[in-house]
Amino acid sequence: MARTRYVRKLKELRQNVIDMGALTVRSVEDVLTAFELSDTALAERVIANDDAINNFDRKIEAQCMTLLALEQPMAKDLRMIATSLKMITDLERIGDFVVDIAEEIITMAKPIRIPVSASKFNELVADVKLMVVDSIETYASGNVQQARSFEARDDRIDFLFKSIVENMVNALAQSQCSTETVADVASLLFIIRYLERIADHAVNIGNRVCYMEEGDRRFLK
Amino acid sequence: MDIATKTSVEISVKSLNLWFGKFQALKNINIGIQKNQVTALIGPSGCGKSTFIKTLDRMNDLVDNVKITGEVVYQGRNILDSDTDVVELRKQIGMVFQKPNPFPKSIFDNVAYGPRVHGVRKKQNLNEVVERSLKAAALWEEVKDRLNESALRLSGGQQQRLCIARLLAVEPDVLLMDEPASALDPIATSKIEDLIYELKNDYTIIIVTHNMQQAGRVATNTAFFYLGELVEYAPTIDLFERPQDKRTEDYVTGKFG
Repeated sequence: MARTRYVRKLKELRQNVIDMGALTVRSVEDVLTAFELSDTALAERVIANDDAINNFDRKIEAQCMTLLALEQPMAKDLRMIATSLKMITDLERIGDFVVDIAEEIITMAKPIRIPVSASKFNELVADVKLMVVDSIETYASGNVQQARSFEARDDRIDFLFKSIVENMVNALAQSQCSTETVADVASLLFIIRYLERIADHAVNIGNRVCYMEEGDRRFLK
Repeated sequence: MDIATKTSVEISVKSLNLWFGKFQALKNINIGIQKNQVTALIGPSGCGKSTFIKTLDRMNDLVDNVKITGEVVYQGRNILDSDTDVVELRKQIGMVFQKPNPFPKSIFDNVAYGPRVHGVRKKQNLNEVVERSLKAAALWEEVKDRLNESALRLSGGQQQRLCIARLLAVEPDVLLMDEPASALDPIATSKIEDLIYELKNDYTIIIVTHNMQQAGRVATNTAFFYLGELVEYAPTIDLFERPQDKRTEDYVTGKFG
């Protein structure tokens, strides 16, 4: 095998992206646990951990730029670097949304209560969490078939999001809520909005993996 | 390989095979070279790319024990036919080599050489063709005040542009370039590359290069040769971003071996 040093650098880059992905997944899982358990302390730890994700973002960007500037990557190597460079922005944004969710959790009255059917809410939470996990997994495995399923899964998440928003608005309209309750419902609306956006970034990652594996730019919408 | 259908084809190569003695250097090459485009030929040393372009102006005729089959159709005729006027062919399909090879004559006489061979005698006509050719080769401004100086006093990059001007003076259709910038520094190289990019408006250009970034910068289409085969021929961006053949992928990513 020629270019052993270059190949090693590519492997290091890939591993760093996977590690950043794993850190982001843990962050998503932790913030949703903090929500479920009304755990303010955990929410604060999640906020503090965002620095680690941001540091990965800068480190990987530098790695990508060095490879592009010095190694003239081509073909799948080029696509892997371009995918990594874009994907870390998606991961970094997911990390930011996690922080936003954590901040909402901290301000909400405890224990956190959901004023609508919990089943749709729980379904949305579970679906988003799994999408993020799967998006990192597709990057690591190159599973294009799985990556292509993200659009349809995102449609389901969008449907749940709209349905929950509608239910919450109706619940607010029909009840004599206190100001505090209204504020918590507003926080919940923000949280599900952030979750819906997190899923959009997971879809982006899936599309980039399709490009990385097959070079098909049609997936880069 | 849907390139040929996009614009008109200047040279159409069909089932081209070439042997040096018992060694087969080109194996069943089929390719349509697009008119007024730059086509880059890439591949490891000994893959057949230089042999291929030499076939296009019959320079392999000079090699002993060479046997060629197939067709190279240019202007409706198979140039491999024995009745092809090779001198006329090389006027229409000219070649620039790796190392600049100006004649040990003045700058003016280098460029005027071809037109004189082809019968241009009047001083005014020669002046015009020399100026036009040097301008087209982006060399005029640098040499216009010293046309009678020896060409050998020019820098390597200037000599190579002089050789291109010498070629343009006989008004060819096709320019073959065999690693035209490999002996030049980066600044001279970029001047040659800019020139190639400009010249494609008026000429069909085929360039052999070991420098894939150069192919990326100047060529519309790129062909990858390996062990005498044309492995892949595609728009340059496709060949470098998403090659279809594993051998191309391994070569462009530098993982051969």
